Amino acid sequence: MFRGSSILLIVLLTAPSLATAETMSFAETAALLAKSCAADIETNCRGVNLDSNRLKECLSRNRDALSAPCAENYLKTFDAIQKRVAARTAVANACAREIVKLCAGSTKETSKSVPCLTTAQGVSARCIQAMGDAGYR
Amino acid sequence: MRPSVKRGLRGLGLLAAVFVVAAAPVSPSHGQAAARDDIIGQLSRFDTAPELDLAALRQKTQERSRIRSRNEPEASKRPPIAPELQGLPGFNVDIQFDTDTPIVRPQSYETIGRIADALVHATLLPYSFLIVGHIEANGKRESNVILSQRRADAVRDILVNTFKISAKRLQAVGLGEEQLLDPPHPTASANQQTQILTVAKMPEQSEQPARLETSAPAPVKKPAKKKK
Repeated sequence: MFRGSSILLIVLLTAPSLATAETMSFAETAALLAKSCAADIETNCRGVNLDSNRLKECLSRNRDALSAPCAENYLKTFDAIQKRVAARTAVANACAREIVKLCAGSTKETSKSVPCLTTAQGVSARCIQAMGDAGYR
Repeated sequence: MRPSVKRGLRGLGLLAAVFVVAAAPVSPSHGQAAARDDIIGQLSRFDTAPELDLAALRQKTQERSRIRSRNEPEASKRPPIAPELQGLPGFNVDIQFDTDTPIVRPQSYETIGRIADALVHATLLPYSFLIVGHIEANGKRESNVILSQRRADAVRDILVNTFKISAKRLQAVGLGEEQLLDPPHPTASANQQTQILTVAKMPEQSEQPARLETSAPAPVKKPAKKKK
């Protein structure tokens, strides 16, 4: 009995740290890109806007000329943006039960249910995590 | 002693806040400090949708910027071209562009990322927005309208293409120097700010990343979910 409750306690204590987002916010990613590559962009990619295709292509094309921090981080930052965007699609799966049962919505139009999901009672930890990863919360 | 110190500090904080608010239009860097939740708060105060005809507004703005008449009032005395935008919820943000281009400087990437974070947040999902570009009263009026439109479009493109904000939620218009943000100082840098305004609330809103990704040029690693 006692062991059971202490395990529960441990689970409860560690849960919040597990629930932190696994994706980076767009602001963080964009800041990292700017910090790592500002000089490289101004020198080698002048005239190219913050575009996940064109800027990535330009930096890749100039790979040999990039500063060390930029070479190390630029692909990571574009991947991080992609990951956060892709996390939106994962919400439909992680929150399928909640969307249908609690929000009377459809998993085909997940985002319509998102405002409801953030306030509904009885939303699973997995769903909450997925919404955090997508930046909905 | 403590409480009074505390009160004093609070007073100082308040004073600082007032100073920041007062200084915001002239000091560009404060736009960067606007946290995501502040942006959400500023954009979600919305009651009624304005009647907007952006095509007509663009035309009107362009036409006025071409007026060569001697009777034309100086920049600070011109009436705003779109007074209907002035009462809308929103905020002004400093986005740095390369001179005479719509290219966003890396120092402003974070600001745009933060706007994207706010627009993705559940609170703002039902709303759509207007990005308004402005230019200080320097150079040719007509070119300023064109440049501000290109810059507003560029901000929209970044939000749509890079951060995958639904294109349906974002429109862009450039007002050049026809609606100065700081009319008493037509050449002040405050007039270069970009505005993000809330213009509509969708009862049935539609941010659909799945569909967006298929229409976006970016390759998606995961194959699109098969839905009959």
